[in-house]
Amino acid sequence: MKRMSFQARYRMIGYQFLIPTFLVLLLVVAMPLLFSLVLSMFRYTFLSPRLNEFVGFSNYASVVHDQYFWNSVKVTFLFVLMVVPLEFFIGYGIALMLSRPEIRFKSIFYFILTIPMVMSPVAVGLIWRMLLHPELGVVNYLLGKLGFGYVNWFGDERLALFTVTLVDVWQQVSFMVLLLLSGITSLPKEPFESATIDGANWLQTLLFVKTPLLMPIITVALLQRVITSFKTYDLVYILTSGGPGVSTDLISYNIYRTTFMGLDLSVASAVSYMLLIVILAITVVIFRSTMKGNE
Amino acid sequence: MKSYKLLKQTSLFFTYVALILFSLMIALPVLWTLRTSFVNEVDAYAMPPRLFPSFTFDNYRELFGNDGFGEFLINSLIISLASTAMAVPIASLGGYAFARYKAGGNILRFTVLATQMLPGVVLILPLFIVMSRLHLSDTYLGMTIAYLAFNLPFLIWIMTGFFASIPKDLDDAAAMDGLTPVQSFFRIILPIALPGIMATAVLSFIFSWNEFLFAIVLSGRNTMPIPVRLAAMKTRQGIQIAKLSAGTIIAIMPMVFISGFVKRYLISGLSLGAIKS
Repeated sequence: MKRMSFQARYRMIGYQFLIPTFLVLLLVVAMPLLFSLVLSMFRYTFLSPRLNEFVGFSNYASVVHDQYFWNSVKVTFLFVLMVVPLEFFIGYGIALMLSRPEIRFKSIFYFILTIPMVMSPVAVGLIWRMLLHPELGVVNYLLGKLGFGYVNWFGDERLALFTVTLVDVWQQVSFMVLLLLSGITSLPKEPFESATIDGANWLQTLLFVKTPLLMPIITVALLQRVITSFKTYDLVYILTSGGPGVSTDLISYNIYRTTFMGLDLSVASAVSYMLLIVILAITVVIFRSTMKGNE
Repeated sequence: MKSYKLLKQTSLFFTYVALILFSLMIALPVLWTLRTSFVNEVDAYAMPPRLFPSFTFDNYRELFGNDGFGEFLINSLIISLASTAMAVPIASLGGYAFARYKAGGNILRFTVLATQMLPGVVLILPLFIVMSRLHLSDTYLGMTIAYLAFNLPFLIWIMTGFFASIPKDLDDAAAMDGLTPVQSFFRIILPIALPGIMATAVLSFIFSWNEFLFAIVLSGRNTMPIPVRLAAMKTRQGIQIAKLSAGTIIAIMPMVFISGFVKRYLISGLSLGAIKS
């Protein structure tokens, strides 16, 4: 050991600092993951919590043949595909407006924007459940005043997912605004000056100068939101419990349901692993783009 | 040039209109909940709604009295503080190792990020089984440890960014002065990074406070934190809107208040350091 190169010794020091992290992650992340991988290959339920019946990949097979699983996949993709673009376009628009130097009272706008971001999704869900209550909610009352008919926000199977989407947008759009805004304010000035000299109008500058320059941040923001919306669980728990029917049964909620109501831990583990693979794939993309941004 | 000025002013006017409308959309639901928390139960669901039909502290009084909300607040406080206090030192060391020593290379860093991206439901089932076997479910210790699963990766990721922004010369100078790496970390680097670390600690506290999935699975009568209690009120008490509003306000106000101290770090933290604060 005495002939260790300087570099190897240097790295050893680094690993010393890493020991606590490593141990804790092993304990609370790696081991549970391994455990559920094992579970997914056995028949393990709350009623018979024993690892004595190895079933290989048959739990995975039963997931693939489960129509509720595919429904959840569909609902989750729909949700992500509605939530992320909505948040992006609204968020980008508001960020552009807030970035105008003439705008005053910015700190008030910032303060209001941060409120939903620090709220628990449970609180958000409860607030909107009250506001959107079909008979007793203020929203329907106001819509009535404006001449619109009665809207059954959570009771209508075709509407419920959209309602959940709107509530999620309400909570998460601030993240988009503030993230893009900090990107816009840190942009260099020169490209805009030369664009103005070249006679580019406002829209051309936005589309061909500003947006391309912001692309790294836009990518991070979008991917970040794709991942978190894939994981959405609390909001559905509070707002709809996956219903009516299974119209808002997002995949995370589906797993929770199979685990703690269906009591089939093995199948739930199998679904978890399938979700894991999707998230991992997206993470690879996000990692590449943040690495690029950091270097 | 006059028409240009007019155009500019019109566009500024509409920008203000849009921004104000947007802010109202964000603020009004919260303000309405605040208002509802101060009216009595009958007025809370009276239709048509009136702005301030009555004013009472009864909802809060009842929550803290009969409903024992004080206890849930304390549970939330204990779990969030304990988990933050455990996660922050570990994450500081880990972040420093990544930033300064490039320990583990990209693979280990990727693992940490991937962990951060893990859906909670994937982890909660095995954690639940293990915690029950160890008789750690419904204990502060069990929940604190479990919360590390989501707190630690996100903290490490942000702190790596912090430490990376501190010039390496400082370490070299410390080494020249004969300090060991551990000494140089604690005496030189840590004091510089401290404000950032404190801010991330607040973020970790906010995340722990708002956490629901781990809480609902692992907590019980002895450890139930606020979000779980609120979620239970939804089903148990039908339409007690006023009381539910008061409970919601209790849950969010401390977070709104303390987030004011970490404004600068909030977005950097939530974007996992993709944006420097």
